[in-house]
Amino acid sequence: MYTLHYAPDNASIIIELVMQAAAIPYQTMLVDRATRAQNSPAYLALNPAGLIPTLITPHGPISETAAILLWLADTHHLGPTPSDPARVPFLKWLFFLSNTAHADLRQIFYPQLFVPATATPAHFALLTARMARHFALLDRAASQNPALFTPQGVLLPYIAALLRWSALYPTTAPRWLHLPDYPTLLPLLTQLETTPATRHIAATNGLGPMPFTAPTLPNPPEGSAQ
Amino acid sequence: MYTLHAIPDFASLIVHLVLAELDVPHTLALHEMDDLQSPAYRAIHPFAKIPALETPDGPMFETGAILLYLAEKHGRLAPQVGDPARAAFLSWFIFTNHNLHTTMMQLIHPYRPGGEDAAPLITPVAHATLRTYYATLDAMVARENPAWLSPEAPSILSLYLAVIMRWTQAFAYDPALNIPVADYPALHAILASLEARPAVQRVAAIEGIGPTPFTKAA
Repeated sequence: MYTLHYAPDNASIIIELVMQAAAIPYQTMLVDRATRAQNSPAYLALNPAGLIPTLITPHGPISETAAILLWLADTHHLGPTPSDPARVPFLKWLFFLSNTAHADLRQIFYPQLFVPATATPAHFALLTARMARHFALLDRAASQNPALFTPQGVLLPYIAALLRWSALYPTTAPRWLHLPDYPTLLPLLTQLETTPATRHIAATNGLGPMPFTAPTLPNPPEGSAQ
Repeated sequence: MYTLHAIPDFASLIVHLVLAELDVPHTLALHEMDDLQSPAYRAIHPFAKIPALETPDGPMFETGAILLYLAEKHGRLAPQVGDPARAAFLSWFIFTNHNLHTTMMQLIHPYRPGGEDAAPLITPVAHATLRTYYATLDAMVARENPAWLSPEAPSILSLYLAVIMRWTQAFAYDPALNIPVADYPALHAILASLEARPAVQRVAAIEGIGPTPFTKAA
């Protein structure tokens, strides 16, 4: 039995979407961000960078969303194996999501870490244009490799979460995401958000009835998203 | 046979080192910054960055993906699927790719997201963050001495870390914020052992990065 250290509407929802869809048993442990529990000595012992999520496995704790996804995919056969030629696009898009798309989105959420206040509007314009281009690339990849981008895989839940957060955060910035620009991803989001697995996660994380196609700010029954 | 699209001492260096350590046949396709935007290169790498690797299974981009693919394909330089050590290895490998690599870029190229004015704001933060990351890694290696990040044998993670530490010791945008490798003894031992390897020396000669590219970069 796995234990997922989570906070509502944090990157842990990606792991939950994958485990619920694959019917992998797990229990959750709330990391209470309101008291900055992610920086407590107990949590840092599991995850030295103090990042959410951490998955506790029989082989020890795993941190970093993409590492957990890859480990789950290999352990539970949720993606191409290393001997499958489809491993190439699978790894390429997983790392693209983690290291390019997710990393750029973090710059949009926390511009104060990257640019002076006077440069924020220009930075926002640059980064949101880049994110739109990333989603367009992913939309094309999903149309070319449909078997890799299903609600049962690990790539689509990651994309869905990035699209959700792009629509919601930062709450003070202008809206920029236009979902109809991604005609392959849009019906996949609808498919993903109507599964019983997603409905369960939406309830426990307070994500609302349409967490990906019409997201609303989280209203979790326990814990704090920020 | 692989073709690595490269510019000397860019992130392609990491892939080049791994190809040399694996001792697999490969060709270097050397580029200039100016020709990356060509339609031919964009067909391989959709946003025209370095590196890209052409493989028998199609073109790949993203440094981390390429490294892991090579380690899996050749069954070396990383714990393989099913090995209990893979859980911790993947955590630190993705950590290096997602956190160390991106923060290193802010120390060296702070002007990229927001112009030159951003540099004085960004580089001290990136410097402090990198020091925390290096200290965390150094303590982990000293405590656990994992086979996948060790002076005893190379791995895709140790080669990746060595190149990042090469750049942060000598090429910070503000030279006062360079980070000496010697401040992290467990990591220093790994880098010193790596740069003595014949495969690393061969790559260092090809890329023109000197005989001590990881511990005394200049």
